[in-house]
Amino acid sequence: MAVDESGQAFTHPLYNVMAQLPGVSLGLTTADQLLTWGASNSLFVFPMATSCCGIEFMAAACGRFDLDQMGTIARGTPRQCDVMVIAGTITVKMAPRVKKLWDQMPEPKWAIAMGSCAISGDFYRDIYSVVPGVDTFMPVDVYVPGCPPNPDQLFAGMRRLQEKIRMRRNGEWTEPELRPETFGFKSPNLPRIGDPRREASLDEAQLDAVINLDPGGGLRRPDPKGSL
Amino acid sequence: MDPENYDPEGDLMILNLGPQHPSTHGVFRVKLWLDGEVCIKAVPYPGYLHRGVEKLCEKLSYVMITPIVDKNDYVSPFINELAINMAFEALNAVETPRRANYLRTLGAEMQRVGSHLLWLGTFGLDMGGALGGGASVFMHCFRERELILDCFELWTGSRFHYNTLTVGGNRHDVPAGFAELVRQTYTLIGQRADEYDAMLVDNAIFRARTKGVGTVDAKLAMELGVSGPILRASGIDWDLRRDRPYAAYNEVKLDVPVRYEGDCFARYEVRMAELRESIRIVLDLIDGIPEGPICALKPVKLPGAYKGKVGQAYAAVEGPRGELGTWVIADGTDKPYRCKIRPPSYHAVSLIPYLAPGNNVSDIVVTLGSLDPILGEVDR
Repeated sequence: MAVDESGQAFTHPLYNVMAQLPGVSLGLTTADQLLTWGASNSLFVFPMATSCCGIEFMAAACGRFDLDQMGTIARGTPRQCDVMVIAGTITVKMAPRVKKLWDQMPEPKWAIAMGSCAISGDFYRDIYSVVPGVDTFMPVDVYVPGCPPNPDQLFAGMRRLQEKIRMRRNGEWTEPELRPETFGFKSPNLPRIGDPRREASLDEAQLDAVINLDPGGGLRRPDPKGSL
Repeated sequence: MDPENYDPEGDLMILNLGPQHPSTHGVFRVKLWLDGEVCIKAVPYPGYLHRGVEKLCEKLSYVMITPIVDKNDYVSPFINELAINMAFEALNAVETPRRANYLRTLGAEMQRVGSHLLWLGTFGLDMGGALGGGASVFMHCFRERELILDCFELWTGSRFHYNTLTVGGNRHDVPAGFAELVRQTYTLIGQRADEYDAMLVDNAIFRARTKGVGTVDAKLAMELGVSGPILRASGIDWDLRRDRPYAAYNEVKLDVPVRYEGDCFARYEVRMAELRESIRIVLDLIDGIPEGPICALKPVKLPGAYKGKVGQAYAAVEGPRGELGTWVIADGTDKPYRCKIRPPSYHAVSLIPYLAPGNNVSDIVVTLGSLDPILGEVDR
């Protein structure tokens, strides 16, 4: 599970199968190490690239920087991926799609918010159509600040994620990432996930509001006539 | 078959291309009615990247708007800055110095090469496996684009989103040794562009998939307000750099490539010819930049210290995708009253309902790639 605030240890669905077999539990430690080693060194990325940061993500995946060197390959479908990189501004119209794609990714999964628009909305945060940070509707593991961050900084973020996965395996406490605030004197418009002030109904209410605002939304009940 | 009164259980199938699809170059949704694999009807749905830039421009002062418009067309930020600052200068009747004009022309042409390289790479990627793995053109083009970003990083301190132009001129002068770096870089890119051209045009699959696909009629293009390489590939000889010269373009020799077929291959040919032409302009300009000041106005310390005049002005530049215009209405305060941005990509994507019917889905992807839309600019 990728949520920092839950405090749960890193688990893999294979464990449940293995733990039921007789005599296998002794070998679980080795298998755990093996799975963690594999998970942290072949992080397939689902690029949720919407704008400028998507171009920098493409540059990071290409020749000079070569994201493949850490076992990271960008795939076009969420079902084959471990990490979602949210690169770019997420609007109110796009947010239900991002949430849907995030829910389609198999566990274990992690999320990286790349760029100040994905982190906090940046200077678009007070605009009516922009979500003030993706952590208002989904969990985020690593924040990579910048507008847009250089490919080097994305590499640092990927390394930090690998480090967190390994630390979680060893049972060490990983500090929840602090959200880098663009304007230090402003508080977020909505309480973040893990904030005790945040009510559980807020996520659903926000998502509902987003869906109702969207005239052509994919989550809406399909019109039987199929009109435009 | 009638797409309006279709039977959901019958033959027609609805396919949503996007909003998250690698070939849509961003977040863009096209709803396709398919009969087998042939498209009957297509309706584009923009707005997934609507960031309210025009509203934001009304809240910010003149000198603070430049970094905002960088993010509209994030593949060619320099030309965005040029368009909006030219509108502010026209509004306030500010004359930019000659050196600033030359530097702006140089930067715009350098940026155009980078933008066309990114288009070429993603266009090769849209072709998928047809080009020997598909990603090879993409990788090669990004290798060259990094060299261009290096030049800009040396000049302005940023890979993109430069914030280098301001009302009245430029902020950053070119550093020492810049001319030599640019000459080496663009000579190299010119040589490699020939290689890519040979690699693509000599490929029979590339020609088969682009020739005769997505033909744009010149009359339709003019009715929809399409401009730039799409219009020139349809046989209309119109280029703002030559016909309404701005910055230093009236002192630059410029050939405008025109093709008459209007299909994806003609658009490819026009963009490759423009890429070579821009490289030639950069190499011509880099030695002849005149000396002098780079900004006509004294730099303002406070953002609100610069007050605009009352009135309205329109300024347009020829971006890599066509006419990028800005219309400003000012009421005499430090902020514009209204700031309308006319993006070329918005008019390009309005061609899709006319181009898609009768084509296969794979051809629609190629057509969409050849239009080169940037969704940050479509939705603003």
